[in-house]
Parts: sequence; C-alpha cells; structure tokens
Amino acid sequence: MAAHGTAERQGMTNSMLGFILFLASEVMFFGGLFAAYFIARADAPAWPPPLTPEQIAEGVHLELEVLLPAISTGILVLSSVTMQYAVWQIQKGNQGGMLWGLFISLALGIVFLAAQLYDYTQLHFRADDTIYGTTFYTLTGFHGAHVAGGALFIAVVTVRALGGQFTAENHEAVEASSMYWHFVDVVWIALFTVLYIIK
Amino acid sequence: MLGMPLRRRLRLLVATVTAALLALLATGTASAIQPGGITDEARLMNDLFWIVTIAGLIVFGLVGAALVYAMIRYRRQNDELPPQFHGGGKIEAAMVGVPVLIVIGLFTISMIILVQIDDKAEDEALTIDVTGFQFSWQFAYNLNDLGTNTDPNAEGTIAVIGTPANDPILYMPVDEPVEFLLKSNDVIHSFYVKDFLYKLDLIPGRVNSFTVTARETGDFSAQCAELCGTNHALMRFIVRVVERDEFDAWVAAEAARQLGDGALVSASGTQGD
Amino acid sequence: MATVAVPQLSGYHRPAVLDWIMTVDHKRLGILYLYFTLFFFAVGGILALLVRTQLAVADNSFVGNDAYNQIFTMHASAMLFLFIIPVWAGFGNYLVPLQIGAADMAFPRINALSFWMLPPAGILMFAGFIVDGGAADGGWTAYSPLAQQTGVGMDMWIIAVIVLGMSSTIGAANFLVTMFRMRAPGMTMFRMPIFCWTMLVTALLQLLATPVLAAALVMLFIDRNYGGQFFDPNGGGNVVLWQNVFWFYSHPAVYIMILPGMGIVSEILPVFSRKPLFGYKAFVFATIGIGGLGFSVWAHHMFTTGSVLLPFFGFMTFMIGVPTGVKIFNWLGTLWGGSISFPTPMLFAIGFVSMFLIGGINGTYSAAVPVDFALHDTYFVVAHIHYVLFGGSVFAVFGGLYYWFPKIWGRQLNERLGKLHFVLMFVGFNVAFFPMHMLGLDGMPRRIAVYADSAGWEALNMLSTGGAFLIAVSMIPFLIAVVMAFMRPKDQPDDPWEANTLEWATTSPPPDYNFDSLPPVRSERPLFDARHSGEEQGH
Ligand code: HEM
Ligand SMILES: [Cu+2]
Ligand SMILES: [Cu+2]
Repeated sequence: MAAHGTAERQGMTNSMLGFILFLASEVMFFGGLFAAYFIARADAPAWPPPLTPEQIAEGVHLELEVLLPAISTGILVLSSVTMQYAVWQIQKGNQGGMLWGLFISLALGIVFLAAQLYDYTQLHFRADDTIYGTTFYTLTGFHGAHVAGGALFIAVVTVRALGGQFTAENHEAVEASSMYWHFVDVVWIALFTVLYIIK
Repeated sequence: MLGMPLRRRLRLLVATVTAALLALLATGTASAIQPGGITDEARLMNDLFWIVTIAGLIVFGLVGAALVYAMIRYRRQNDELPPQFHGGGKIEAAMVGVPVLIVIGLFTISMIILVQIDDKAEDEALTIDVTGFQFSWQFAYNLNDLGTNTDPNAEGTIAVIGTPANDPILYMPVDEPVEFLLKSNDVIHSFYVKDFLYKLDLIPGRVNSFTVTARETGDFSAQCAELCGTNHALMRFIVRVVERDEFDAWVAAEAARQLGDGALVSASGTQGD
Repeated sequence: MATVAVPQLSGYHRPAVLDWIMTVDHKRLGILYLYFTLFFFAVGGILALLVRTQLAVADNSFVGNDAYNQIFTMHASAMLFLFIIPVWAGFGNYLVPLQIGAADMAFPRINALSFWMLPPAGILMFAGFIVDGGAADGGWTAYSPLAQQTGVGMDMWIIAVIVLGMSSTIGAANFLVTMFRMRAPGMTMFRMPIFCWTMLVTALLQLLATPVLAAALVMLFIDRNYGGQFFDPNGGGNVVLWQNVFWFYSHPAVYIMILPGMGIVSEILPVFSRKPLFGYKAFVFATIGIGGLGFSVWAHHMFTTGSVLLPFFGFMTFMIGVPTGVKIFNWLGTLWGGSISFPTPMLFAIGFVSMFLIGGINGTYSAAVPVDFALHDTYFVVAHIHYVLFGGSVFAVFGGLYYWFPKIWGRQLNERLGKLHFVLMFVGFNVAFFPMHMLGLDGMPRRIAVYADSAGWEALNMLSTGGAFLIAVSMIPFLIAVVMAFMRPKDQPDDPWEANTLEWATTSPPPDYNFDSLPPVRSERPLFDARHSGEEQGH
C-alpha cells in the first residue's frame, strides 16, 4: 500500500481501477439479491412453496426446464471465451482478430438474450406466484438487464474498433468490456446453479 | 489571535462546559431511578441495567474528568511548542487493552443474564395468545391451558379485544409463569410492557413467545412499540396482574359471558381446588 | 439557497450561475454539496421542530397522526440521506484533493454527475408531500409489510433513495481512486491526513454496502408494484428478510455518517493543541476496524424480532466499542500535554468528543441484549441516535465549517458569534436530548404521535421541546456570522491557524488546480515540518 511516486503510476490506469471498484459494487448488488433468495429458500417450509387452489386452477406450476437454459449457459460461456480472444488479439496488435472476437461475442450475447426471453414465454408462473416466482424473475431479470448493458458496451467497443481506435498499447475499453462480460457470465453460472440445478 | 482579553472568557467557557457536563451527570444519576420491573426476568434485567449504568458512569467520569483537566491544565499560556509526542507501544497497548477488558466483562455478564431470562417455562404454564392488529390487541385464553388451576376437560377460548379508543385489559395471575404467544396478521407490532422491562415483536408469518413470572399485582400500562401505521400511538393496553383466585373469578365470569353456561361450569369448577 | 453569496472565483466569461452549473472543479462541487446539504439540514430541522411541537404536551392535536408519521419519516430521511451522508461528500470533495496535494479528483465529470443526482432525488422525495396519500410514512427504516400499505409517496421515496445511493456509490469509487493514485510525491498511505483516511474507509463502506440497500429497495419496489412476494409470508416470503437486508446496509451506514466527522475532529484537535495526533496508526487501524466490524453487527437492530443469533451479534456489537474506545484515547492523548487554544472550531471538536462519549456509552445499553429488550424502540434509542449523529456528526460539521471557512471562502467567521453559536447549541442539544434517556427508561416508545396525560411524560417532553427551539435559536448567530463574513473582503492568509496539512500550503481560496508548488512531504504534517524545519523536534 505504501507506494511512493506521483499521479498516474505504472500499471493499471485510474479508469481501470475505477471500473474494478464499480464492478465490486455490482457484485454486492447481486450479493444482496442472492442473499434474499437464500434466506427465503432456507426459511420456506417447502421448495418450491405450496400454491393456493386458485393458482392451481389457473394452471400455475412452479417448474423449470433445464435444457434450454443449459444451452444458454454454454452460449454465454463460449462468448466469454471469444471475448477473451478479442483481448488477447489486440494485445498482440491484431485488430482483425479482435474484431472477429467482438462480433462473435456480441452475436452470442444477443442469442442468449433471445433465448432467455423465449424461455420466459414458456414458463407457467409469474412474478407474483409465490416467493419462487418473485425471486426467479428478479434475479434473471436483473441479470438479463446486465447482459443487455454488457452487449451495448461491446457494441460501442466494436464500433470504436471498426474505426481503428485500439492498438496493442491502447485498448483499455476492450479490456473493460471483457471484464464486464466475464462478470455477467459468472453471475449467470451462479444463477443457473442455484435456480436450475440445486433442487 | 487569542490575546489576553480572551482568557477570561475562555475560562468562563470551560466552566460552562464543565458545569453542563456535571449537571448532566447529576440529572442522569438522580432520575435514573428507573428500571425496576415486576417480573423475575425484569429483576435480572434490572441488575444488568445497573451494572451497565455503573460501568458507563465510571467511564464517563474518568474520561470526562481527564478531558476537563486537560483543557484547563494544558490551555495555551505562551507561544512555546509543547513536546511533540506521537504515542508509543505501551500506551497504545493500554488503549486497546482497557476497552477490550470492559467489553468482554460486560458481554459475559449480559450473556449469563440472557441465558437465565431465556429459560423456557414448563408446559403447564398458563398461555395467553396475543394477536396485534391495526390498531389494537386481542388477548385469548384457552380454557384448558390456564396454568396451575387448569381443568383438562374445559373447552373453548375466551378473548379480550380492544379498540384504539378503548384499551384492552390483559389479565394475568401473579407468582406463576405465564407464557405469551405473539402473532400478527397485518404488519409488525411489538408487545411492550414497560414493567416487564421487555418487548418482543409480533411478526406476520411467525410466532414468537416468551415467559415471565410477575411478582407484583396491579395495573401496568403498556403499548405497541413498533411503528405500525396511523394509530400506532393509540395501540395501548393495560396489564392487570391479580391474585390467582381473582384471575379464576374473572375467567369464570368471562367464560359465562362469552361462551354461555356450559363453559361456565367447567371453568368455575376449577376454582374450588 | 445555492444562489446566495456565490463567491466569484474567475468569472469573466460565462455568467456565474452557468459557471457553477457546468463546473467539474472539485472545490466548486464541494461548495455546491455544502450548500445543498445545509439547505436540507434546515429542512430536516424545521420538520424536527414540528415533531417537537407536537410532542410538547400530552394528547396534542397540533398535527394529526398521519401527518406526524410523514413528518418524522421525512425528518430522518432528510437528515440522513440528504444532509449527513452527502455533507461528508462535500467536505471530502473540497478537501481530499487539496490534502493529498492533487489538482482535482480522479474523475471530475463523474464527480459532477454524483452531485447533480442529488437535487432531483431530494425534490422527488419531498414531492411526496403533495401527492395523494402523502409522503413516505413508514419511518426511514421502511419496515415491510407496513411499507407496502402506503401511497405513491413511498415509491417516490424508494426511487429517491436508490438514486442517492447510486450517487454515493460512484462518488465512493471516485474518492478511492483519487486517494489510491493521486497522492503527492512523498505522501505514503501512512502520511495521509487523517480526514482522508476516514473518507477512505467511508468510501469503502459506501461502495460495498450501498448496493445492498439498492437491492433491498428494488425488492420492496417489486413487492409494492409488481405483486412480488419477497416480504409476504402468504406467498412464502419472509418479513424479517427486509430487516436483514436493510440493516446490512444501514449499520455500516451509521459509520458512513460518523467516520468523516471523527476525521474532521482529528484534524482540528492537533492543530489547536499544537501537537501531532496521538497514535496516528492506532487511529487508522481503529477506523478500519470499525469499518470491518460494521458489517457484522447489523442484527443488533433486530434483537426483539426473536429471530437473530443473540450471543454472536451481541458480542460483535460490544467489540465495536474497542476501536471506538481507542479513538477516545487518541483524542485525549492529543490534548494531553498540549498547548491548547479554544477558537470556535476547537470548541465544536471538544463538544464532539464529549457528546460522542455519551453516545458511545448509551449505545452499550443496547449491546447488552437483555437491556436492549427494555430500551429498544423507546426514546432512549432516540437519545442515542442524536448523541451520535447530532452531538457527534453535526458538531463535527460545524467544527469543520468554522475551521475551513477561511480556506474555502477566504474569510473568517466572527469568533464571538461562533462561540455564542457553540454555547447555545451545546446547551440546547443537551436540554433537548438528555431528557429523552429518562423518557425511554420510563417506557415512552419512539415514533408515537401522541401520549396520554396519565403517562406522566409531559414535563420532560416540554423540556426537550424547549431545547430543540434553543438549537434553532443557535443558528441565528451562525447565520449572522456568515453574512458578516461575506460582507468583508477575502483577506485570509494561506494558513491562518498554523495548521499541518497541505490544503493550508496554497492560497485561501486556492487557485484553479490548487497548487503552484508543494512543500516536501516527509510526515503526516508537512506544514508543521516546513514551519519548524530549523528546529530539532523529537518525533
Ligand atoms: C434540530 C435538531 C433535532 C431535533 C429536535 C430532532 C428531534 C427528533 C425526534 C423528537 C425524533 C423522534 C421522532 C419519533 O420517534 O417520533 C427524531 C428522530 C430521528 N432523528 Fe432527529 N432531531 C434533530 C436532528 C437530527 C439530526 C441532525 C439527525 C441526523 C443527522 C437526526 C436523525 C434522526 C433519526 C435517524 C431519527 C429516527 C427516526 C425514525 O424513528 O425513523 N435528527 N428526531
Ligand atoms: Cu404499533
Ligand atoms: Cu446499527
């Protein structure tokens, strides 16, 4: 900690440090939502919680299909890999490779979002159907919003990359967008595990 | 900037501050005749209250005295620079050590007392079902769960229901453990009887319970202690601690009134024992 | 408020107002923060006077029960979210770059964004008073399910608090980067002024705790508006969940509200004792310790819910007493053996130490779990809150204002008026809040709009109301002093107090970009070193 020296020190730039701190606060935000989920689930007499007769009459049932989300998970993980590929390419100064990486990641991100929206239409419960529905839609909804934000970030970076703005020495935005993308990916893996896998 | 003429005023100021602190201390000790409490559990809490108070007053006295002493003794008298010490090993160790000792001491004592208070009552204890609602209380007694004089064959419950304008009265017998079951169906309330030195929340979706043994008879005012909406301030009630036979008589009368004659027989039947 | 007495820095092109609106300069933003927060201190104070007027006599009907709930809720919300939390951002904005010898914050434009999120949030929160159903009325703690019952004012409150939280989160990141990366040559972390250290720990707490509050508020919003069941036991939700998540933020928030005040006091005491802060490193570690422990004691606000691990949280709460005690020693040790003078900033600093001492002692009552059963949610707790937040934080705010006024505005506040201000406020404060201890012990619950005559609480309440109005009166000499100061020219030298830290090494007020040249930094007191470089001083 006891570093000497002046303003901008070697290593990370101020913006990068600021961005990492921002990510830390995002982690805490999702931490809060996850904590709520765990407390609710630990306290619930049964999981999924019992439904009222009216809900059953309406055809509500609290079940999740695993197949499509599992494929989505694969897509998102793959997009993290391609995103990292983009970073490695620009570190070597290869703009073309970076562009490919960015394009594919962006496309995969959009596919993920589309799959998630489709998945929503297939479910037989809504956000107001017990704490199960509420936590499910809140967690996946906020995650989805973050994926959309991350995709937008990548899109902006892609446009800048098309304008040739990044070099081997200067490509902070690429690194930042990839960090954000990995963060979104990790949150999804955690979500997928607790919502779909742990019974 | 702070020449001689200011000195006097400064001294005056120090004196004001000192006097104010002393006055605080005096009112503090004089009117902190407070806790007391009418239950076994409250008496334990009362002890702890005084332990904390005495510890607090000692700390306040020592630190306050040191503060006032330093302000007077070390007030600026000339332009000389005082010795520049930054602190050091031993004193700093004491700085940590003293609070650690105080804190561990107080924590240990409070846990010992907590364990004693939490001792759960035997099953035979009289049970009162307390339901809080916006904005009053319902106290329900199950006729076969009335403590020492219970008639196991009695059936039915009697209940006292209040309104914001009409404080309900909670009857309980003296000198025997009484268990309270606390429930709410709307928002959170808190069952607070000052003379029990105790409160516990009524939380939708869970049942809280506690047990006390009252040692004094009389009327004790009480009220909701958790903000619960518009008329939270009017959610008052009265705890009436009475001798056992008076309690039984009240139960019998209420049973007759609320349940009709059949119940009266079994309820009053317990009275003779 | 923000339009009175705007000091002219270099306004020769754009109109001055526009200059202020467009500014990204940390000093101007700091001043804007101060104006904004002091305005809401006044608003919160007026609401407090309404509360005290209502409670002055038994069975009063000055304001109705509904209105009362809105008033005390908005009193606390204004004081906490619109005054005390952002006022530290104001001091921090002005002082941190100066104290570490930097030209500005790390991200000046983000800094401006942080500030400009506040006014809309403040307006939104208070606009609750004019909508159907009135302003938020569930207390600043917004306990569910009560918080589900009230009108749209509650939704406005939720959104406002989320926005305020975002502002302080990004502000926190800005402070952290500034302090980690932009310190002057020679200024190691352990040579940073102590105020900066307290801002650093505060920023860490904000960065990590505020998002959790945002998560909780989002859940509440979903429950209220989209049929969510987070806090509804009928749908499998959990009422106490709200309290857990809320206090996970709000206990650390208590330290967010007081730590920078401790920092200010720890700047003032050494200067007017002419000694270094006693135990600088111990102070730093105690601050970090309070910050760390702050995350493990949230449930001490929930002892009476019957659903928390009493021994654990009781123990952790007591443990917070240790670093707090260390600080009291730091301050005493600083005074001890010094050469103490008593200008107004020093009076407020000593006022802080003595009142905070009481606030620490009456806090231990609630840490002793069985005693908390009796005192929780009574006026005893209201006394505690105010001994810490008013006797502590607010005294530090005024100490800081008197101390840095010459630096920020180039003028001195009148000493006599300052002392009068202090004496009135000190006496008024204790008259207003000390009786609340006794009221609490006598069983008066907090948050009640009326009490019965038969309760016997009237005399002490009347006394307390008198004290509250005395506090209001104490603001008069302060305001006169401010007006008088602004009628005089800027005549203050760089360093009117013989202070220690870098902000006094530049002109008063400082020029754009702060410094022409910096003195060497070889200790936490570069200016002291510069003044006494000839003499030999034992370190
Ligand atoms: C003019 C000086 C002040 C007066 C007379 C005053 C008075 C009061 C009173 C009487 C209450 C209790 C309301 C009730 O429980 O019904 C209260 C609550 C509160 N006050 Fe103040 N106050 C003052 C300044 C402050 C300041 C400066 C702060 C914080 C920086 C503050 C923070 C709070 C908080 C957090 C509560 C708790 C509200 C709640 O229960 O939700 N107050 N105040
Ligand atoms: Cu209530
Ligand atoms: Cu707390």
